Amino acid sequence: MQSDADFRAHLQAAVLPVLEPLEARRKGIVRKLTAGSLAIGGASLGLGGWLAGRAEAGAPLLVALVVGALLIAGLVALLTHGFVQDFKNAVIAPIVAFVDPTLQYAPRGCIPQWEFQRSGLFKQGIDRYRGEDLVTGTLDKTAIRFSELHAEYKTTSTDSKGRRRTQWHTIFRGLFFIADFNKHFSGQTVVLPDAAQRFLGRLGQALQNMNMARDQLVKLEDPEFEKEFVVYGTDQVEARYILSTSLMRRILEFKRKMRVSIHVAFVDSSIFLAIGTGRNLFEPRLFRTLLDEKLLSEFLNDVRMATGIVEDLNLNTRVWTKE
Amino acid sequence: MPVSPIVGLRQEDVGMTWVLVAVGAVVLVVVFGVYNSLVGKKNAVEYAFASIDAILKKRFDLIPNLVATVKQYMQHERGTLESITALRAKAMSGRLSSDEATAMDGQFSRALRGIMVAVEAYPELKASENFQQLQRTLNEVEEQLSAARRAFNAAVTDFNNAVEMFPTNLMAGLMGYRRRQLFEIPETERQTPNVGNLFNA
Repeated sequence: MQSDADFRAHLQAAVLPVLEPLEARRKGIVRKLTAGSLAIGGASLGLGGWLAGRAEAGAPLLVALVVGALLIAGLVALLTHGFVQDFKNAVIAPIVAFVDPTLQYAPRGCIPQWEFQRSGLFKQGIDRYRGEDLVTGTLDKTAIRFSELHAEYKTTSTDSKGRRRTQWHTIFRGLFFIADFNKHFSGQTVVLPDAAQRFLGRLGQALQNMNMARDQLVKLEDPEFEKEFVVYGTDQVEARYILSTSLMRRILEFKRKMRVSIHVAFVDSSIFLAIGTGRNLFEPRLFRTLLDEKLLSEFLNDVRMATGIVEDLNLNTRVWTKE
Repeated sequence: MPVSPIVGLRQEDVGMTWVLVAVGAVVLVVVFGVYNSLVGKKNAVEYAFASIDAILKKRFDLIPNLVATVKQYMQHERGTLESITALRAKAMSGRLSSDEATAMDGQFSRALRGIMVAVEAYPELKASENFQQLQRTLNEVEEQLSAARRAFNAAVTDFNNAVEMFPTNLMAGLMGYRRRQLFEIPETERQTPNVGNLFNA
């Protein structure tokens, strides 16, 4: 792995020249946004006052606030649209290339929905599916691809006054990672975060055994792993062939290092990881300077977190028949 | 007055009878459930053992190939090669009991490891593509074998828990189920390999 000094040199050469004009644009956007927000704020206050003068209006200030907030949100989207894309092409792309020259970065690309569903990790039907920041490439012998994803489903309810209300619920939001696995297998094995067993012990395990939506429960011998995860698979032997004692340890350590929820699936000789990062990765920020080395190393660490999975899970070890 | 389905009983006796019938039905359901789960666990153990058997056979099937590849290079290790061929023949000759299979597996693993150590002395052989492919396949079979052993041990542990824990142990006693042995690694293999001894031999 390259050192911090290498990264600094790379930033000087590839990123800084383009970052300065971007910083000037960012300041321009903030100026326009401030002016626009003040104007909108004033107008909505005026609107509120006018509505308050008319008796039949319900909650005049609330209406004015909502209208104002919507307008400001629209303004932000309008002003930052091109800026975000340009920032990603100019800053994130060279950082991705720095991690490994074979990696390709597509700011608007994402893991397609059918691949997300092929993992079998999330059974809920999807109503809205979005993603960005796709990275693809091959690290040594292992082909990888990952992107940010946000999958949601909606519920519609009608209240007593006959008003329809649609609510969106997140199924998964975070980084979705797919890599070629180093062993051949034909079935399906999923590793999910375990809630039931942690709180209910043996009773929880008995309940998991009856989970109809999933394949057979696979009880593994590592007690710490069993406390964190529950494993379902189509084949008891194959699940253990994939989840060797060392891979169980590695998954456990990865989860402890990341401190977020992790879902892992093994399907079609590939490994799928869904990492709930809880924040939007690879985005520029608007209200603080971009000329900050800490911000840029954070981007680097996020890319390395994903590419490091190959190393963390030992995917480049190819001592079996799969090359 | 409601007509009782059980003729000739007084009202309160009818009520009591229904309670008894209900209790009896619940007991029966529980007994059936326990019985079925025990049979299911026993079958899971047998299934897991069969999958070890299948992979052991896969490993035996690799031997003629291995011997053919290795023979032309290893003139001095005739003995080792012959002993492993003999072991395979013995294993393939008929059905082995689970104890015999365990013992055979141990001997076989040792013989195989002997060959792999001997190969170190033949750089040409080690470099040959044929041998490398074979070694990958062997690694894979060993990994699958270890997975099958773990699956077997998990099934046996599940079965043993049911045989020894209350209340399933009562039923297991009636059915004549006994604790089963886990698939253990033979004592000789459990010792940490002494690298120095390997070189002295």
